[in-house]
Amino acid sequence: MHLTPHITHQTELSANIVLLCRFLRSKGFSLTSTEETDALQALTFLPFDKEENFKHALKAILSKTQHQYLVFDDYYDEFWDQLAKAADSKTKDKIVGKDKKSEAQKKAIRFESLKDWLNLSPSEEEKEIAAVSDFESLTRKNFSDLSEEELQLMMRLLQKLARKLAHEKSRLLKTSKKKRSLDLKKTIRANMRKGGQIQHLLFSQKKERKLKLVLLCDVSRSMDLYSRFFIHLIYAFQHAYDKIETFVFSTALHRVSTILDQHEFDKAFDIISERVPQWSGGTTIGSCLSDFTKDFGHGMLDRKTIVMILSDGWDTGEPEVIESAMKTLYKKSKKVIWLNPLAGNENFSPDALGMKTALPYIDILTSAHNLESLKKVMQQLQKRRNFSKEIFIR
Amino acid sequence: MKISELDQIQKMLQGESYISDNAIAMSIFLAMRLEKPLLIEGPAGVGKTEIAKVMAKALEAELIRLQCYEGLDSTHALYEWNYQHQLLYLKMQELKVQDISKLEETIFSEKFLLKRPILDAITRTEKSVLLIDEVDRADEEFESFLLEVLSDWQVTIPEVGTIKARHKPQIILTGNRTRELSEALRRRCLYLWIDYPDFEKELAIVKTKIPEVDQKLGQQICAFMKELRELKLEKTPGISETIDWARALASMHLTHLDKQIVEDTLGVVLKDWKDIRHTQDALSELLEKTGVVSRMG
Repeated sequence: MHLTPHITHQTELSANIVLLCRFLRSKGFSLTSTEETDALQALTFLPFDKEENFKHALKAILSKTQHQYLVFDDYYDEFWDQLAKAADSKTKDKIVGKDKKSEAQKKAIRFESLKDWLNLSPSEEEKEIAAVSDFESLTRKNFSDLSEEELQLMMRLLQKLARKLAHEKSRLLKTSKKKRSLDLKKTIRANMRKGGQIQHLLFSQKKERKLKLVLLCDVSRSMDLYSRFFIHLIYAFQHAYDKIETFVFSTALHRVSTILDQHEFDKAFDIISERVPQWSGGTTIGSCLSDFTKDFGHGMLDRKTIVMILSDGWDTGEPEVIESAMKTLYKKSKKVIWLNPLAGNENFSPDALGMKTALPYIDILTSAHNLESLKKVMQQLQKRRNFSKEIFIR
Repeated sequence: MKISELDQIQKMLQGESYISDNAIAMSIFLAMRLEKPLLIEGPAGVGKTEIAKVMAKALEAELIRLQCYEGLDSTHALYEWNYQHQLLYLKMQELKVQDISKLEETIFSEKFLLKRPILDAITRTEKSVLLIDEVDRADEEFESFLLEVLSDWQVTIPEVGTIKARHKPQIILTGNRTRELSEALRRRCLYLWIDYPDFEKELAIVKTKIPEVDQKLGQQICAFMKELRELKLEKTPGISETIDWARALASMHLTHLDKQIVEDTLGVVLKDWKDIRHTQDALSELLEKTGVVSRMG
């Protein structure tokens, strides 16, 4: 039923290719004008005897990753179907009308959830609040027990800590890299003026490797007590490290890096709570993590990247999904750190099914329920992956 | 004319006894016509590297291969100054009074340049095929060296200037996805994903590569491999393992599989002792699925 074989005008086909590119972009393909040009150029010499040729060619040009390559056929079919439908203007109008309605509905839902979120005043959750005023006692206090003012105080402390650690790392590297290698090119050049007699040697120094962080933060119902704090934490991180990507998830994954980057904390917080509509209901950690690996993994994960997951591990999805996602994360990163607030409890053992499944693919599991344990984690960031691992840090 | 070109590629692949499908042929065709690098990804042993070899043969071009590894840098991939020659030359010039800047110009000229694979490929007088194998093993920094070559077909050497390609080489990059490649690199390439072949394709490959293999044996081998890949193994065997195995069994003049033979020759297919043990445990079931009835009962 596809239109391709009997398209007569070259221009029409070209226009459709541009449309296809636009359609694919909305599906997460990163396409620039180069790909469009390539596709249009390919049209000029492509043998049109089979429609399959056309599809294979566009697939080779427009997809750039395995994931894109494998889903291309489906999107391709979907595109031509939609195009065929859109050709009938009546149907087109109907679709647009429907869209508008659902957009309004969506807004209403979002608004409801935002209201819910705002109504969750901290006093409801707090157990006992001892009046704590100085930093010292703050460092041992469980984050979930903090009041609004204490939270503010904590924030400042946290930002300081994050900044300090971001700086410390560069000094650490310089002194520890003692092995030097001779830079012959520079040595010869520097000694040329002495008639080619080598008198002093020049060494090349290893460049400092910048740390990259990917944060994945669970904001589902079961994490309510902590997610408020964690968003604070993320905010502090975001402003201390250069290369950092942040996502929040409950039943779906949302990228929030730019929001945190561009706005003051309160504003950023409002926008994020609006973006994540489902606060109640179960978490699907597995599918969210696997969405991350598929859609963003190829640009963001490499052996210099530390993946930090903030979650209690209560997953309502299939354990296989979380396992394969964690496997990918583990394999493609420098380190995987899981912060589980429940782990602060004396009697904690990783019993939640999601947590248990993920365990083999975690380098460090820790509570991060107070500032002290958080500090320990941050000191681990620069270290290499330790295979004979004692993963649980209290 | 134009149609025949795609046909030609299919014929060329067949001629080199490379069994491909339309998607593979199309990617190669486009890479050649658009003069773009082709990035091929897929599991180990599905014939990614083979494509470059076949292309070089068919184009009668030289294959220049750059095997990537962790720590590979520009001095091993692009160029390096020949320090020994430079030092010798300086020694020789010691007694002659010479302008220093002239001397410098001399020792940093093309004469003292060692060409590594990439520079080699672009300075050839004839078209070549450049295979950058397992690019995901190299560091991320290495990718940035590649970008200039991949998009502008040139290499910049600070002392000499920019060296433009005389003939654009046909570049093939392969990867096993041990690390994700940067978007910048991907953007400059056409993309091809090759997966394990289906039963028919694998059987065709086996028949082409080892014509003497018994019809029934060939079918059983391919069916067995298909089931074997369903197991969760540390190292899933690729096509090359299938071919090795088929060749080994054919040379023993066997006409069909049985449990004993499979057990004895499992080491040809699996290279990890855990995988072998795991497979041995599941062997009866595997053979049943494959349709081989055990002789041992």
